[in-house]
Amino acid sequence: MTTASTGPATLTATDLSLRFGGTRALDGVSLRLTRGVTGLLGPNGAGKTTLLRVLATAVPPDGGAFTALGHDPGTAAGRLALRRTLGYLPQTPGFHPEFTAFEFVDYVAILKELTDRGARLREVRRVLEAVDLSEVRGTRIKRLSGGMRQRVALAAALVGEPGFLVLDEPTVGLDPEQRMRFRELIAQAGEGRTVLLSTHQTEDVAMLCHRVVVLARGRVHFEGTPADLTARAAGRVWSSTERDPNALAGWRTGTGSFRNIGDPPTGAELLEPTLEDGYLLTLDGESAEVTA
Amino acid sequence: MRGVAQTATRGLPADLLRPLVPPVWRGLPRRALTTAGGLGLLLAGTTRLPDHAPDAELGRLVLRLTALTGALGLAFLLDDPARNTTATTPVGRPRRTVLRLAFVAPLAALWWAAVLLLTPAPTRPALGPATLEAAGTACAALALATIAVRFTQAAEVGRSTAVWLGTAAAVAVLVPNRWGLLGTSQDPYWAATQVRWAVVLGATVTLSVLWTPEPLRGRPHGHGPGRLGPSWSRPSE
Repeated sequence: MTTASTGPATLTATDLSLRFGGTRALDGVSLRLTRGVTGLLGPNGAGKTTLLRVLATAVPPDGGAFTALGHDPGTAAGRLALRRTLGYLPQTPGFHPEFTAFEFVDYVAILKELTDRGARLREVRRVLEAVDLSEVRGTRIKRLSGGMRQRVALAAALVGEPGFLVLDEPTVGLDPEQRMRFRELIAQAGEGRTVLLSTHQTEDVAMLCHRVVVLARGRVHFEGTPADLTARAAGRVWSSTERDPNALAGWRTGTGSFRNIGDPPTGAELLEPTLEDGYLLTLDGESAEVTA
Repeated sequence: MRGVAQTATRGLPADLLRPLVPPVWRGLPRRALTTAGGLGLLLAGTTRLPDHAPDAELGRLVLRLTALTGALGLAFLLDDPARNTTATTPVGRPRRTVLRLAFVAPLAALWWAAVLLLTPAPTRPALGPATLEAAGTACAALALATIAVRFTQAAEVGRSTAVWLGTAAAVAVLVPNRWGLLGTSQDPYWAATQVRWAVVLGATVTLSVLWTPEPLRGRPHGHGPGRLGPSWSRPSE
């Protein structure tokens, strides 16, 4: 399902910074995205949502700059041009609860300047079908479940075929079947487009993304392919019958043995690393969650 | 379907207005507006209850309370539960705000006219100063809501704005008449009070006009969301 990287950079960010009071949410973030799905990983408070909000033009940065799809959002004309080709799913999407799913997505389509009524209504039907909400399209949003609302928000992000899609934890609150459906959708969306996907689910990144960025404390700690991130843990994951006190992290697996990551002792039984192992080792020292 | 964005006409503002009107109208915080409007009319109607019409100073007090009630309703005008989801669309928040104002301004003017008509003639104070005070109070509510939207990420700023407006009104009551906004027509400071109301009106309109557009650059470091008080939200990360 992993999407392929194609072509030159579609987004280039240089030294982005943003502070909230005394908190430095972004601290000199530079990155480069190409077409395809890029995963953004990081612990809570890493600055993922802030970075996505900046790249989606929801908040301007204090410092630094970026261009996306050739548009510079530092100017009014550039921001408008970028927004015309942008789809954004925020971390906590909001709705007018009295609107039906169809009415809300139609409203967003109007805000995306799709003024030809016939084409717009066809497009709204298409995206609601894509997120499997056709049957409840006439239901008021306040009567929909959390997972359904999340899909309404995804439909709103997808409407108008955006060239740059920013998705902030889109699989939160979804059951495994819905998550698989989401992965298919996002993989399709990544074909020929630039998709930036923030998630806590390393398996989402492993299955979907051609590139991955690891963010911690407002800084980029890794940028590369999922295979590169996984390779960081090569030779640093081992199995033992007891939790190794020298391991950075260790947990009992379903088989009863312990899976440890860190610097293995001599003669340890090495295991095949996963992307999560590489991620945890990349964050070593950056987050208390690593050793929790 | 890749080309929908291309095949659907990229609209000019005039093309957008027609489809945009129904959803923006439906998205208005009608409960807050109608509640405040209804309470204001009831309040103004109390001047007709006594056997003898109250004097103009009591009428002025009732009209001030009525104007404050209406302004508390207007404090909710910029509430937009879908703010996060629609924040980055080409038709941005400022244009939608202007549309909301275009809906509400004539209704507010009609409401104020009804309030004045409900107040019996002997009780009704001079219309000019009373209307100036009502407009200043309404614009103060809108300016406070504009500040809340501009400097926080909150989707629904009405409650916080109403608290700030109520606080401002309480402070105004405590300020001596020679410096304040709530004098009476018998005060020697009455003319100066009207000038102050004109300043309030001008300042709040200017502030709302300046701070409604979305900024292109972040603010200088050290002035982040949350500085306005604990009830104003900030981003989760």
